[in-house]
Formats: sequence, structure tokens, C-alpha cells
Amino acid sequence: MADRVVVTIGTRKGVFVADAPKTRRGFKLRGPFGPGVPVYSTLVDTRGKPRIYASSCNPFFGMKLLCSTDLGRSFKETKSAPAFPKDDGRALANIWSLEMGGAKNELWCGVEPASLFRSGDGGDSWEMVPGISNHEHARKWQPGAGGLCLHTIVRDGNRVHLGISTGGHYLSEDGGQTFRASNKGVGAGFAPDPYPEFGQCVHKIVRHPAAPGRLYMQNHGGWADWTGPGGPRPNIGVLRSDDYGRSWRSIASGLPTDFGFPIVTHPKDPDTVYVLPLEPATRTCPGGAPAVWRSENGGGSWSRLGRGLPKKEAYFTVLRDGMTMDGLATPALYFGTTTGQLWLGRDGGEKFDLLFDSLPPIHNVKVAVV
Amino acid sequence: MGAEPTVTIHLTAPLRVYSGGASRLEIAASTVKDALDALAQGQAALYRNICDETGALRRHLNVYVNADNIRDLRGLETTLAAGDVLTFLPAVSGG
Repeated sequence: MADRVVVTIGTRKGVFVADAPKTRRGFKLRGPFGPGVPVYSTLVDTRGKPRIYASSCNPFFGMKLLCSTDLGRSFKETKSAPAFPKDDGRALANIWSLEMGGAKNELWCGVEPASLFRSGDGGDSWEMVPGISNHEHARKWQPGAGGLCLHTIVRDGNRVHLGISTGGHYLSEDGGQTFRASNKGVGAGFAPDPYPEFGQCVHKIVRHPAAPGRLYMQNHGGWADWTGPGGPRPNIGVLRSDDYGRSWRSIASGLPTDFGFPIVTHPKDPDTVYVLPLEPATRTCPGGAPAVWRSENGGGSWSRLGRGLPKKEAYFTVLRDGMTMDGLATPALYFGTTTGQLWLGRDGGEKFDLLFDSLPPIHNVKVAVV
Repeated sequence: MGAEPTVTIHLTAPLRVYSGGASRLEIAASTVKDALDALAQGQAALYRNICDETGALRRHLNVYVNADNIRDLRGLETTLAAGDVLTFLPAVSGG
């Protein structure tokens, strides 16, 4: 019976694991695991006996994948990490995304430079997915501030949605064999053409299983006042699709800024979606007063959730995988900051408590009930 | 043409995980590139920590022949003599 809440925290200095009873009281922290290098992605694989995976991005000795089979009491390297074919000419620079595949022990992995890999044996061996990795656009994508990364993998049966920064949203409808750019309505703020076929700086994409066809996207916003070629692009940062990602429309109206990195859906309500707006220039909390913003009507309107969070002088960033929700009866929101705090928002974010105050800068937070 | 000289490779602690725990290896190689090729053949896991999948030396890794960084010598073409010591060290970078 699932009775523990397990939170994985990927940081600049390794991975931490915290767990608590379902009351979410008394979280205990373990770690750091790994050689003290950045962990950009973690995954709690709840199929069968739970496994925790963590990327380990060693700038000296290359990329590794760590695996724990004892709920984060110990980690060891898998037998191999993704790698480009020898004659490809590209070299793995980072592991940005880990997701469960459809088959037992199947894993998907998004990397930098933007490419996709698949493992059929729990991460011990990997093969490149050519449909996106060798896409005709692939050599034309440009790196964003975080590098040229494939950071988001959303699976929906035979549909696969990918988020690439800066490549945009790519959609497969044949299980990942072939992909096409699917960015109708997705604005770009750093090119003369405000709506190019591809090249958008998508930050995160999420879907909800109870709303077929519905997707939400946090895109690179913050271009409302642009006066250069192509003109201003207000509200391009937060988007919604109702046709499986074939087209997108803005839902950013009402937010203090349309710039941000994470976007999260409520596990029990597809109309409830959360973002964490940031100042576009500094990528920090507006006015030094952090808040999560929630819509309960699919982006039609937004309300501010800041109870328990600092009211001033807080200028952190929350990165694209830094916010998540658990699946308990009354779900809680979790977000980790670049200044090393892990916040827990009880009752869907109504009241925030600080779980850990002084971790290394946090890159990602995942949670599961096991 | 004579036999290739035998040189010693010194491994720092993080790399010993990939050399079966060995802190030093003796190999026959005429140049640094030869030494890396030998590692690719006989110590594949260790090699992958030193070179990426294109065969390039990892960016934040320094290679020394005795006390000299190979970037101040002839890079991968730096010739090796019997008894030379080859050391792979993380660059003093990062944080």
C-alpha cells in the first residue's frame, strides 16, 4: 500500500531525496548523492518496485544516469548513459529530461544538444530516436540561455509532445517514429517573425489525462513592449491547446507577467493550472514577492497564491522542472528555488511552508506517493 | 621501427571507479593520441570519461605529460618516451 510521499530534488550539487508519511509532516532528507555535480532531471518510476533515476551531469567526466532501487537510500550508475552514434558529430552535453515509456522498463530521455533517446532496459542501454534527433530542423535550432535542450517529453498513447529550447513544440502521432513542428499560435520573442514555423523557446508543456487534447504551455514571454522588427508580442508566454497541440492560444491575460518556467496541472482537475511568473529581464520574483498563480477555469482568470511565502526581498528563480504536485486526496504543490529553498504548498497551494531552507540551487523537483 | 615506449597513466580518485580500482596503468604508446586509442580499446569505460563520443577530449579535463600540460606541448600529438607519466586532471573550473 502506498504510504510514503517521496520527493526527489535535483540540485547543482547532486540529488537529494526527502520522504514523509502521507500527512507530509516530518520530511526526512537524504543526500546529496552523486559526485557533487548538477542534476537537471529526476524521475520516480512507480511501475512495479519503485525506482528513482537522476541524471548526473559531470562537466569533467561526462554524463551519467544514476538509479536507486531503495527509495533513495543509495544510488549507482546504470550500465550506460545516452550517447550519440560515433559518426554523428554531436556529443552529449547534458541530460534534461527523464520520463517513463509505455513498456515495462522503457525510459525516454531528452538531452542537450536537443535529441531524444529511448531505453528498453531501465537505462542500461540507449538508442537515439532519429525521428526528432535527425529531424530536418535539428541543425537549425539555436540554443537558449540554458543550452539547446530537449527538456520536455509528454506521452499520450501514440502521441508524443516534445519541448525544445529553442526549437518549439514538436508532435508525433505515430509513437515517436516521426515528428513535425506544431507551433501554430506559439509566439517567438527573439526573432523578427513573431510566429515562425519553429524556433520558439518553449519552457514547459503539460497535459492532463482527464482532458483529452488539452495541453498547457509555458513559453518564453516578456515581449509585450518590444518595438523592434515584428512589433510587440503581448501574452505569448502562457498558452493552451485543445486540439492535441496542433494549435495554441494565449491564456496569459491576468498574470503579472507572462514570463516563467514551470507550468503544472492539478492532478484531479484539468481546469486547474499553476504558473510561477517571473520578471522577464531578471527572471526573478516580481517585486521580490514570490507567488504561484492559479487558474481554476483553464486559464480564463488567475488568482495569486502567496500565503506563507516571503512578502519582500526574495529574488529567486524557479526553473522549468522546479515545481510539481503530488497525487494525494488534497494535492500539495512543491517548488524548489535557485536559492536552495524547497517550499510545500498545502491544500493546492493555499498555504506555503518551507521544507528545507539551505539546499544547493534547485534544478528540479519530482514527487510520488509510493 | 622500434617498439612503442611504455608509459604510466595516473588516475585520480573519480576515474578509478572506471579502471577497476587501479590508480595507475602501464600502456605502450608513442603519443598522447596513441595512449587514448589504447584506452579506447582496453579501458572503454575509463576512455568515455576522458573523451566524448566524438573522440574529443572532455572540455574541462587537463592532460599532463610529466609536469607539462599537453596544450603547451603538441596537444594530442605530443610524443611520449619510456617512463613518461600521463595524468588526467579536472580543470580548476566550475564551482
